[in-house]
Amino acid sequence: MEHVAMNDERSADTQFCHMVESAPCGMVVVDVRGVITFVNRQMEDLFGYHRTELVGQSIEQLVPERYRAAHSGLRDQYMQAPLQRAMGVGKELYGLRKDGTEVPVEIGLSPFQSHGVRQVVATVVDITARKSAEDRFKLVVESAPCGMLMADAHGTIQMVNHQVEVQFGYEREELLGQPIEMLLPRQYRKGHSGNREAYMREATARGMGEGRDLFGLRKDGSEFPVEIGLNPIDLAGQGYVLAIVLDISERKLAEKRLAKQTLELSRSNNELEQFAYAASHDLQEPLRMVSSYCGLLARRYKDKLDQDANEFIGFAIDGATRMKHLIDALLLYSRVGRSQRPFSLLNATDCLQAAIKNLEHAIKDAQAEVTYDALPVVSGEAAQLMQVFQNLIGNAIKFRSDRKPVVHVTARRASTEEGVEWEFAVTDNGIGIEPEHRDRVFVIFQRLHTREEYPGHGMGLAITKKIIEYHGGRIWVESVKDLGATFRFTLRGEASSSERVPSMRDAAA
Amino acid sequence: MVKREREIINVLLVEDNPADVRLMKEALMEAQIPYNLYAVNDGQSALDFLRKAGLYAEAQRPDLILLDLNIPKVHGLEVLREIKYDSELLNIPVIVLTSSEAQQDIDASYGSRANSYVTKPVELEEYFSTMARMNEFWCDAVALPGNVATS
Repeated sequence: MEHVAMNDERSADTQFCHMVESAPCGMVVVDVRGVITFVNRQMEDLFGYHRTELVGQSIEQLVPERYRAAHSGLRDQYMQAPLQRAMGVGKELYGLRKDGTEVPVEIGLSPFQSHGVRQVVATVVDITARKSAEDRFKLVVESAPCGMLMADAHGTIQMVNHQVEVQFGYEREELLGQPIEMLLPRQYRKGHSGNREAYMREATARGMGEGRDLFGLRKDGSEFPVEIGLNPIDLAGQGYVLAIVLDISERKLAEKRLAKQTLELSRSNNELEQFAYAASHDLQEPLRMVSSYCGLLARRYKDKLDQDANEFIGFAIDGATRMKHLIDALLLYSRVGRSQRPFSLLNATDCLQAAIKNLEHAIKDAQAEVTYDALPVVSGEAAQLMQVFQNLIGNAIKFRSDRKPVVHVTARRASTEEGVEWEFAVTDNGIGIEPEHRDRVFVIFQRLHTREEYPGHGMGLAITKKIIEYHGGRIWVESVKDLGATFRFTLRGEASSSERVPSMRDAAA
Repeated sequence: MVKREREIINVLLVEDNPADVRLMKEALMEAQIPYNLYAVNDGQSALDFLRKAGLYAEAQRPDLILLDLNIPKVHGLEVLREIKYDSELLNIPVIVLTSSEAQQDIDASYGSRANSYVTKPVELEEYFSTMARMNEFWCDAVALPGNVATS
């Protein structure tokens, strides 16, 4: 019986040995002094030692240098009242291999008695794979270009990334465990804790305080504008909130700068228009005096003075008349954009026909031929668009060459991101414009020719450009000297006007 | 009683520019309209004249008022409103005569019950012909109200 029992015992031992050796984790047994009494094969593999190199050695041989002193103290403490538990909860544990490299591990401790001697078995699990996944995640969070901050249901900060430290000027340790409200300007704190509680009851991923300006409070007491995104997170049944914090100081500054520039621009535009408007009105009065009394001189004293006097009076009257035209043009120019009338959808053909009607005499005198294709419906003010056609066709006829003037108006759909746009073209066979003058022609009071060559006050194209720009379009000119010019401009249309009516030609002369 | 073909009409011209006053005189003369032209050069004087106040105790009641808008002291539109709110004066025709072509001035004038609005032409011939037509209309074509004020 005893033999059998011994056999049983031996076979139980053997079985136990097999179990320990084939366990998927490292196992090491130490005595109360921390001397290794046993290691299994996994332990040998994990640390790179043969068991003969370990048994009889201090367990600290497997602990990285920097932890050794603390480890032996903790081990002594543990031996006072050994319990089955995990080692170093919440801390990262590392083992030291024979080759000097370290391996992240998780360790479980279990005390046991063997032949009346107290020992401890430690199970060691290699967590390299899990650790690298964690590290990767941490790296992502840490290197994120925005602040990331996690708080629990009570608003206690549980995690912050590096960017939060940069944004708020705190060290991580100063923030962890603190109420989130410490990062808010004082005046918002009270409201925030209420909002936070409401959010926790019905947590969804959303922006914080939409429509309001949000500010963060730095450690140094300064504030900065932020944008915050909130995401509820559930960790082991506990509700947390992950807040993404963006410092929008730069954007706010840019917005402010832009708003200021826009304001200044519109103010200077307004001032310019008011100046032109007032000047043209106030200039009328003295001009009328010059013109009227020169007229009266001519009327009453024409034959009573000599020929020189008649000529001088003539020049004075002529000058006053020209000035009157300039002032009228300036007034017209200043009025573009001051109009209170809203834009409506117009048939551009109607505007063109009205312009041709106004130019009837000029067209007839020059024996010009004005033709056009079907034109689309555009958004604008009828009188102003008529003025555009009148100015462009009028110019085309005025700046004609020796050839019979031929003017043709077309429109084509232009591709644009913001709705339908039409590109109009007024093409003539006149004298053309040299490349270096293509921008100058649109400038107020600019003339390329003497008054004797071509009459005019140099305002027509400036007014045309202002009207087009007021309508949200652009105008430019393409020209080959001596062959003619094509003035192109764009106007906004509407989607339904996209189908082109079959082309028709109409001689308007 | 023999009805004269043309009665001498009394015109009050409210105009601060003496050159303009003279030009009006010339225009009336060229149009051969028999007139008494009284000229005042600011809005307050115009109201004093009409109400025979202060210096103007002996003033004649005008048959027609030619009113510039841009005048010192009391603005032309204000003068116009005062006239049209005054039961003694409201039936005297007021012609706003100004260099402004602004729609807002035209609208404001009619809104304050101006009887007509005329822009002063820059060119002399046009000025004369406009004044001739204006005076012809108001002095010949139109029957003016009688003098309701006690005099």
